[in-house]
Amino acid sequence: MSDTIVRPESILTARNLTKEFITRGDGAFSAKKNRFLAVNDVSFTVPTGQTLAVVGESGCGKSTTARLAAKLLEQTRGTLEFEGADVTRAGTRELASFRNNVQVVFQDPFSSLNPKHTIEQIISAPLEYQGIRPPQGKAALVRELLDRVGLNPDHAQRYPGQFSGGQAQRIGIARALAVKPKLVICDEAVSALDVSVQALVINLLRDLQKELGLSYIFIAHDLAVVRQIADTVAVMSRGKIVEHGSRDEIFTNPQNPYTRTLLAAVPRINPEWERRRLAADAAETRGVQA
Amino acid sequence: MTTTIPVVPGAPLLTIENLTITFPTSAGPVDVVKDLSVHLDAHSTLGIVGESGSGKSMTSLAIMGLLPRGAQTSGSIRLNGHELLGQSDKQLRGIRGEKIAMVFQDPLSSLNPYYTVGLQIEEMYRAHRGGSRKAARAVVIDALDRVKIADAARRVDHYPHQFSGGMRQRIMIAMALCLEPELLIADEPTTALDVTVQAQILDLLAELKEETGSGMVFITHDLAVVSQVAEHLLVMKSGEVVERGPIEDVFSNPRAPYTRALLAALPRIDDPFENLKGVSV
Repeated sequence: MSDTIVRPESILTARNLTKEFITRGDGAFSAKKNRFLAVNDVSFTVPTGQTLAVVGESGCGKSTTARLAAKLLEQTRGTLEFEGADVTRAGTRELASFRNNVQVVFQDPFSSLNPKHTIEQIISAPLEYQGIRPPQGKAALVRELLDRVGLNPDHAQRYPGQFSGGQAQRIGIARALAVKPKLVICDEAVSALDVSVQALVINLLRDLQKELGLSYIFIAHDLAVVRQIADTVAVMSRGKIVEHGSRDEIFTNPQNPYTRTLLAAVPRINPEWERRRLAADAAETRGVQA
Repeated sequence: MTTTIPVVPGAPLLTIENLTITFPTSAGPVDVVKDLSVHLDAHSTLGIVGESGSGKSMTSLAIMGLLPRGAQTSGSIRLNGHELLGQSDKQLRGIRGEKIAMVFQDPLSSLNPYYTVGLQIEEMYRAHRGGSRKAARAVVIDALDRVKIADAARRVDHYPHQFSGGMRQRIMIAMALCLEPELLIADEPTTALDVTVQAQILDLLAELKEETGSGMVFITHDLAVVSQVAEHLLVMKSGEVVERGPIEDVFSNPRAPYTRALLAALPRIDDPFENLKGVSV
């Protein structure tokens, strides 16, 4: 996953990102205003071709961080660099080029796909916005993308309602890939999926990373999923990154007390049961081969 | 309005026999649960695990007599040997809450935002047991205390939005338990919760089950969670039970290809994927 090619340069660097929301204090009619720091002085880098996972519990600021990184929200303070260029105050043209390079896959595949548009219309929409005319033609590109994410290219004229949740999420991924982005931000992209489908989508994301050299920011609350896909992990709590390190450092030798609590709380299957199951599987496989 | 259900001596707490649930659709009738049989004794927990569309939630709604209109059922669901299927709404009202209680996935959609949590639990309690508001309030405060809501005597007058997600689920559990039901059905009770809160709620459910001796049906999509709470497990797929057995047997020696596939697809926090593959190849 990570050890294919080591490219030390980073694709995205966030420095001291802060997002402040103003909320009304003491009930709906209060004149008093409260400041709420959803993201508080957060810095991170996404190494090119790798996956940074941002994990934490609800309200920790991970989704706001994703939105800041995707420039769907404007930061209150801090800077954002994409491939070494400052995009903090990107103008219209720079923003268009940024969107060409950075795409988002959302949690709920159905609410992020227009039910009245065909799959072809959905997948080619980012091309329209960007004014991109693919040399092979729009329809051919859509067919290629459907094939790439494991869907039948002949289904391009169908509607989202005709697909299952896992298939719909593949459509969302195909749409994100249409403009050939370098960085894909996955905001809880596999959380709504059944476990059997989730594994397939995780594998798809990993294969795409290998084939296309994509970088990911993977926002998730499910630590077991993060263990499968991340190269580096940032743990967030109350708007701050409390620990940041390589996947193995975070999972096998967590330093921060909150990270430890979080990891300890994840339910696990009795390791003895797991060992017996795998041993039985291995014995059976040998039996079949012999 | 205390109900009198004859207890058939020696009968298990819950018996389901050949339960089939059918929905009429434009494409003809569809069986969402097919020929399900299982029984559960007091003091024990039955886990039902499956993915979306497996029929696990329909099974729990059938036990509660809460299936959507249009659903047709056949077979038998008995509580202490007493048939529940085909009972009138009036008869079921005396059983729901009183004998069988349910905790759902989303506590916020189960609580009315306009009323204090105390009032909502009180109302439910008095509908079953009658008595004064004052007496009911004391029961409610005691129930909130049992689910470890700090400062229960003050919190009883708070509204649902003044509680966190985990606290709201505690409130739902308090409501479910204050009539001391013999059977608790928990349908994805921790799915909407953060992992640290999930751990607390699972501990709480285990503790309360120990204390009250009630039986529990625990419905979930999460294999790791069910492995910790259940003694027996049913694995469901497309309305059918594909595997059943003591929890340890199902996890250490799954027979059904579907159970094996589910376990193979489950990401493990202690194990990066490639290692898992390495073992099984």
